[in-house]
Amino acid sequence: MKVLHRDVVPNGPGVVKLVPVDSDDLWLVYNLIATGDRVMAVTFRKVLRAKSGGKNSERVAMKLEIEVEAMDYDKEGAVLRIKGKNILQNEYVTIGAFHTLQLQLCRPFVLTKETWDSLALDVLHQASDPGATADLAVVLMQEGLANILLVGRSVTITSSRIEASIPRKHGPAIVGYESALKTFFENVVQAFIKHVDFNVIRCAVIASPGFTKDQFHRHLLLEAERKQVRPIIENKSRIILVQTSSGYKHSLREVLDAPSVMKMIKDTKAAEEVRTFRDFFDMLSNDPARACYGPKHVGIAHERLAVQTLLITDDLFRSSDVKTRQKYEDLVKEVKKAGGIAHIFSSMHVSGEELAQLTGIAAILRIPLPDLDDIEM
Amino acid sequence: MPRKVNYGVDYDDDYDEYDYGYEVEDNEETPPEQETIKRSVWRCAVCTYDNDETMSSCDICGVLRGPLLKNLTYDEKRAGFNSLAANIFYLKSSRVHSIVVGEDEAVKVSSKRLDSSDVSTAKDKHNRLDEITFNMQSSGKSLLSLMPKERNVMVANSSSSRNGGKAHDLASNLKNISFSAESGHSNDTNPGRANSYAQYKPEKWMLPGKTEHSLAQLNLAIVGHVDSGKSTLSGRLLHLLGRISQKDMQKYEKESKLQGKGSFAYAWALDESAEERERGITMTVAVAYFDSKIYHVVVLDSPGHKDFVPNMITGATQADAAILVIDASIGSFEAGMDGTKGQTREHAQLIRSFGVDQLIVAVNKMDVVDYSKDRFDLIILQLGTFLRSCGFKDSSVSWIPLSAAKNQNLVSAPSDFRLSWYHGPNLLDTIDSFQPPPRDFSKPLLMPICDVIKSSSQGQVSACGKLEAGALRSGSKVLVMPSAIIATVRSLERDSQPCTIGRAGDNVAVSLHGVDANHVLAGGVLCHPDFPVAFAKHLELKVLVLDVATPILIGSQLEFHIHHAKESARVARISSLLDSKTGKVAKKAPRCIVAKQSAVVEVTLHEAVCVEEFSKCKALGRVFLRTLGRTVAVGIVTRIVEV
Repeated sequence: MKVLHRDVVPNGPGVVKLVPVDSDDLWLVYNLIATGDRVMAVTFRKVLRAKSGGKNSERVAMKLEIEVEAMDYDKEGAVLRIKGKNILQNEYVTIGAFHTLQLQLCRPFVLTKETWDSLALDVLHQASDPGATADLAVVLMQEGLANILLVGRSVTITSSRIEASIPRKHGPAIVGYESALKTFFENVVQAFIKHVDFNVIRCAVIASPGFTKDQFHRHLLLEAERKQVRPIIENKSRIILVQTSSGYKHSLREVLDAPSVMKMIKDTKAAEEVRTFRDFFDMLSNDPARACYGPKHVGIAHERLAVQTLLITDDLFRSSDVKTRQKYEDLVKEVKKAGGIAHIFSSMHVSGEELAQLTGIAAILRIPLPDLDDIEM
Repeated sequence: MPRKVNYGVDYDDDYDEYDYGYEVEDNEETPPEQETIKRSVWRCAVCTYDNDETMSSCDICGVLRGPLLKNLTYDEKRAGFNSLAANIFYLKSSRVHSIVVGEDEAVKVSSKRLDSSDVSTAKDKHNRLDEITFNMQSSGKSLLSLMPKERNVMVANSSSSRNGGKAHDLASNLKNISFSAESGHSNDTNPGRANSYAQYKPEKWMLPGKTEHSLAQLNLAIVGHVDSGKSTLSGRLLHLLGRISQKDMQKYEKESKLQGKGSFAYAWALDESAEERERGITMTVAVAYFDSKIYHVVVLDSPGHKDFVPNMITGATQADAAILVIDASIGSFEAGMDGTKGQTREHAQLIRSFGVDQLIVAVNKMDVVDYSKDRFDLIILQLGTFLRSCGFKDSSVSWIPLSAAKNQNLVSAPSDFRLSWYHGPNLLDTIDSFQPPPRDFSKPLLMPICDVIKSSSQGQVSACGKLEAGALRSGSKVLVMPSAIIATVRSLERDSQPCTIGRAGDNVAVSLHGVDANHVLAGGVLCHPDFPVAFAKHLELKVLVLDVATPILIGSQLEFHIHHAKESARVARISSLLDSKTGKVAKKAPRCIVAKQSAVVEVTLHEAVCVEEFSKCKALGRVFLRTLGRTVAVGIVTRIVEV
């Protein structure tokens, strides 16, 4: 994300001009903008003109500033739609008229906020930080199923999902098995070539239970040689093989946990999230009284100053109710002040998704609190 | 005619001896007087033959059952109420009877089944297990919804939901019957058809005659830790019993030596793919057949690797009995018994939860330890305690020392003098000593599809699997689920030889006609067109968590295995924690479930699978939850929440 102009007073009003560069940035913008903020961007609007020969409607490009009322993030399409009322004097659009702005990549926009709280500043800082991208392409497969995922800094996108029915291999059906497997690999190779761009990602991981990954790797290299696909041949060394227990999407956690992959991405947010989540799980299994989840339980734990690590998804910050947002922000601040660590999980990542399913907020405690069990969730 | 046997309703059959103290779970709602009206046989008044509970008319003479109707197919609880309603409907039965006869080829139909369903609506608030009624009432769906097989319940329920809950409305009954009569003629599947499950009358050819087949079927799964010698043992057995010709054997030996895997010569009889041979492992379950003195045995040789446990599950789900192969050599046995890395434990637990209670523990590779009796005894001691904790009764576990490589104690008494301290039976005799498992001949057809073979040359599709219930023969119509297409059986094959009739318990390859190859998938089910199996995404399960490290929380992502299907699943809700000893609800909505606890949970699957409640069909009601390469929980389907 490029920050073209910045004029911000911490905890006060301010204006920034931004240009999102990749889909990660759009996600950050989505987290940044809240209802009540003002966004100005170039947009198109259908305008009715009464001309000779009848009404004519044209799409006119204009600069509009709107006051945000609702937002919609489209992950796959990499577009952020912001709906709100127009507040800028404009010859085509009256003040107070509704409009939906579409923020796209490489298009600048100006964001004006009333209060730039610490979280917003954090996000802004993160956005302008060029390093620390996870940028991993993972092919999670098992016999008959393959998922190609792109793990970004804060977003994990499923590029493609391939399913095939592969018969068993004994007796006369062996030939069928071989050919079905071959067709399946062909499809995966094609998807791989299409979605995996070695200029953007750091490394590619092929993960599967059993030996499917080895078979596929072999096949991939052979195909690359045969069809002379330059990117793959040059980047052979950047392809890692990892063992997982299944080809389903939630096994991505295991991939990120693997030491070989961890080495590559250790300084990134995604890896940190996975580590923290794993710690939480370990604590829950070893000493359940020292881990809790759910807003009520975490709230109680916090009152007793027992929270050591707070895990929270950014979903909760996006609630339109300012008070809830404020409450969670205060929680994060207080935990940090009390000497604990607060991790904000991106809900678009695998571990963030899992945390979101556990109500979105969890905590590892300093001291065991066994009576939490009795309190209703 | 043999006495038909009843099986218990709850899954406590399989779990009641788990060391976790999980005991027989009585339905807490069962009122005390129902204890006496257990699932039993009823005596025909005319020919005095003892009929199964599910039969509404006598098997031999065809007389309809008398007014005092016992319980329905699944639920004793309704029994008391049934008798009341039965009296009311007895007179009307003949009219209803005729309508139903018209649409169903099953001739002798009990109309009285319908009345009990009416009654059940009144009762349904008492029936926690009566989820179908509950569902019908709550969702108010029409008969066209995909619901499980308890048709009679559906009939009345939808009628009552339409008529505002009036329990004894015969008119509505008739309306429903005519409704189902119409839908019965449509060729495309109307899965919600209201056919009474008990209306299904097996045709004469479906039930086995005494003279027809002298050898009973036995599906034998061979499991154990990786490299314990399972494939070699199976290969040896097949060779000794003449199923592999000498020429084939020599070919295997020569080729395996060429590849540098001379010791795997016998295993190559079962591991046929290039990948398996190259790596020297079994990756998918191999099926082979042989005959012992009493049984026609189907050998299901499973993979032992940790990564291939899902394959082992789909293979061993067909098993009636199992052989657990142990490697006796020093270090290997201990490695197998290891909690996290060894497969001996996991396989034993899985086998037990498949409902297998007869087990042979074959202690293989005895030649490596010089046939030492001490080693054998040590293994018995350690493994024995574990098996007891899984729920295997000591009397149904046999221990046999043998050596597959040296052909000791397999089909004949050991020749090696070092094994002379062993006086028990050899392996083949022990297989013969297994009890024949009960079979569901008289239930409607159910065959989970294990494998699909497409022969593009003839455009044929063959579905392989074990018939769990009912029977098939060429020409019968079957319903292929989940695609819900009706196909006809072109031919049946068992053991690479064509056969005319396949019955419950047989492992057959069914060649189908009238369906596209893409619609027949492994994990699907072949069923009777009138009794479609349900498929759903949202299920309620009663699970027992094995002793693993990770707890199960709400939102946990797991892999869900049921018969031959596997899906990615998420725990939607943990409804209650059950007390392991009494089975009663100990705590509602707990935070998480940890090792050795049992609970009722709701899971949401990624895609719908064909499933039946455990009480209706055991084979389609058993589930396994796995994550991170380990089996975390085993359970049964108690309720299908919604599609």
